[in-house]
Amino acid sequence: MANLLNHFLLFILAGVGMLLVPLLIGRFLRPKLPNEDKVAIYECGEPTIGSSYIQFDLRFYTVALLFIIFDVEIAFFFPWALVYGNAMQLADTGLNDRAREVISERLLTAPQEAVSITPEAAQTLGLTGFFDILVFFGVLMVGFAYVWKRGDLDWIRAVGSPDINAASNTAEPGDAA
Amino acid sequence: MTPTLADTATTIQSILQGWSISESLAMFLAAVIHVALVAGFFGLPAGIFIWAERKISGRIQDRLGPTRVGGKFGWLQAIADGGKLIQKEDLVPEDADGPLFRVAPYVVVVSSLAALMFLPFSDGWIAISLDIGLYLMLAVMSLEVIGVILAGYASGSKWALFGGMREAAQMVSYEIPMSICVVIPIITAGSLNLNEIGGLQSGHLGNWIIFHDPFSFLAFFVYFVCATASCKRAPFDLAEAESELVAGFLTEYSGFRWSFFFLAEYASMFTVCGIAVLLFLGGWHTGIPGLDGILDGPRYGSDAYVWTWLTNALGFGVFFGKASVLVCVQIWVRWTLPRLRIDQVMMTCLKYLVPISCVLFLGAVIWPLALSFSGKTTIWGTPTGERAAPTMRLESISSPADQSPTASTSNGETGP
Repeated sequence: MANLLNHFLLFILAGVGMLLVPLLIGRFLRPKLPNEDKVAIYECGEPTIGSSYIQFDLRFYTVALLFIIFDVEIAFFFPWALVYGNAMQLADTGLNDRAREVISERLLTAPQEAVSITPEAAQTLGLTGFFDILVFFGVLMVGFAYVWKRGDLDWIRAVGSPDINAASNTAEPGDAA
Repeated sequence: MTPTLADTATTIQSILQGWSISESLAMFLAAVIHVALVAGFFGLPAGIFIWAERKISGRIQDRLGPTRVGGKFGWLQAIADGGKLIQKEDLVPEDADGPLFRVAPYVVVVSSLAALMFLPFSDGWIAISLDIGLYLMLAVMSLEVIGVILAGYASGSKWALFGGMREAAQMVSYEIPMSICVVIPIITAGSLNLNEIGGLQSGHLGNWIIFHDPFSFLAFFVYFVCATASCKRAPFDLAEAESELVAGFLTEYSGFRWSFFFLAEYASMFTVCGIAVLLFLGGWHTGIPGLDGILDGPRYGSDAYVWTWLTNALGFGVFFGKASVLVCVQIWVRWTLPRLRIDQVMMTCLKYLVPISCVLFLGAVIWPLALSFSGKTTIWGTPTGERAAPTMRLESISSPADQSPTASTSNGETGP
């Protein structure tokens, strides 16, 4: 753990240094003559209109919201895939004994004595894992199908969806809200 | 266990201490050399591929590309550009958020450099070999997007803001099919340790995970498309999109600060291609049965150190060659296909790549289970030595005796 932490610190320092040192050297080499036109925001050569800290398209937010959840769920796939992959390797009867022991040891997190999982047991473990992920993945897919059906995945939204039309036709303030 | 780069650093440290340098100074120097070795891999591919991109794009467009700097082929062009850029004024717009504007390239560079620390360039040439290496690597690599969003937001320019936001939307959506496709080789290999995944693919061509089953074959291509998009390379370079957004998130950047976004881009192109090579294309193995045996062969005897070093160097050459071919494909794609529109980019991912990768995932899960229940072997092909090489590697990893010490531990192993 300390090993990893040290490496992170080392690489962060290296990354910062890699950028900082040339910039510091450049400070003695490069001109620094800012003027009004240079420090202005570029907007195709015209004077800028308004601030750029504006409201941007809500669609970006929807995508982010949808897919952060998706991303987090995928993160749970990784440990599962590890166990399932090992179980499937053990389920192979052709696996040699030494490899079987080593993989079993990893799967059982440091058992007291040497054990090796039999192909049959590994097959059962694999099957359990399969149904586990089927349920987990199924829930994810149902959510995905729902979002797709609702039209949240469409980048170009139909301007007149039925709901909006209904609201604008009746033109009642209560409905519009 | 084959010496990792951390071991090399320890060795350097012990040599330096032999020269009656104080312990802390030796530790510092060893750490510097250790990180410089990896940082070299950050700068070197970037330099090579920037030149390669110019030459290839030139040829594709029936031009010559750079021809003057450094002789006939202009191979010093990237260095000449660096020399030019360092003299350019470092402008920060008045309306920009100064500190954030300055910090953004650091975030990009640090994340794409730190991702390299989990990438095995060869069997032993890895900064830090972890059982969760692949996962951490993907996590660190995706931090790069924060730097891009920061650059877009802090620039105070509308073009930059749009570029940054597009990048954010694109990245979060393309991460999904990419991660699903990464899970498929993990199921095959049963490991998250990149060294192990690479080691499992020794023997012959049939042992490469891409040829393991039809799903992993297709997963490679889906992964490659997503990897191209995650490096914001054309046809997915919506964040820059010169003809629409001026230069997207880079609009207000200039000089050296600007160039580091590109260095990081090329470095992460190399990184994602390196992951593709390790996960699907056999890592540092040639795919030729006899040669792979040498690469994985037992390393003992008096000249073990030299032997290991040589095989690692050979492995590095193979790995770098494979990754470079993939990078060249990315370059080729960039100069061949026109840029997609933002709605097309999002639709490609959400409505095509995500469902495709989900189907591939399910297929890859069912495949070994079906094989196992029909009494067939779940390991395709016949690895030379009956999986001897991976077993040996597993053995060496699980033995706690020679856990490789870091550059920062004080007493190191003896030199060669």
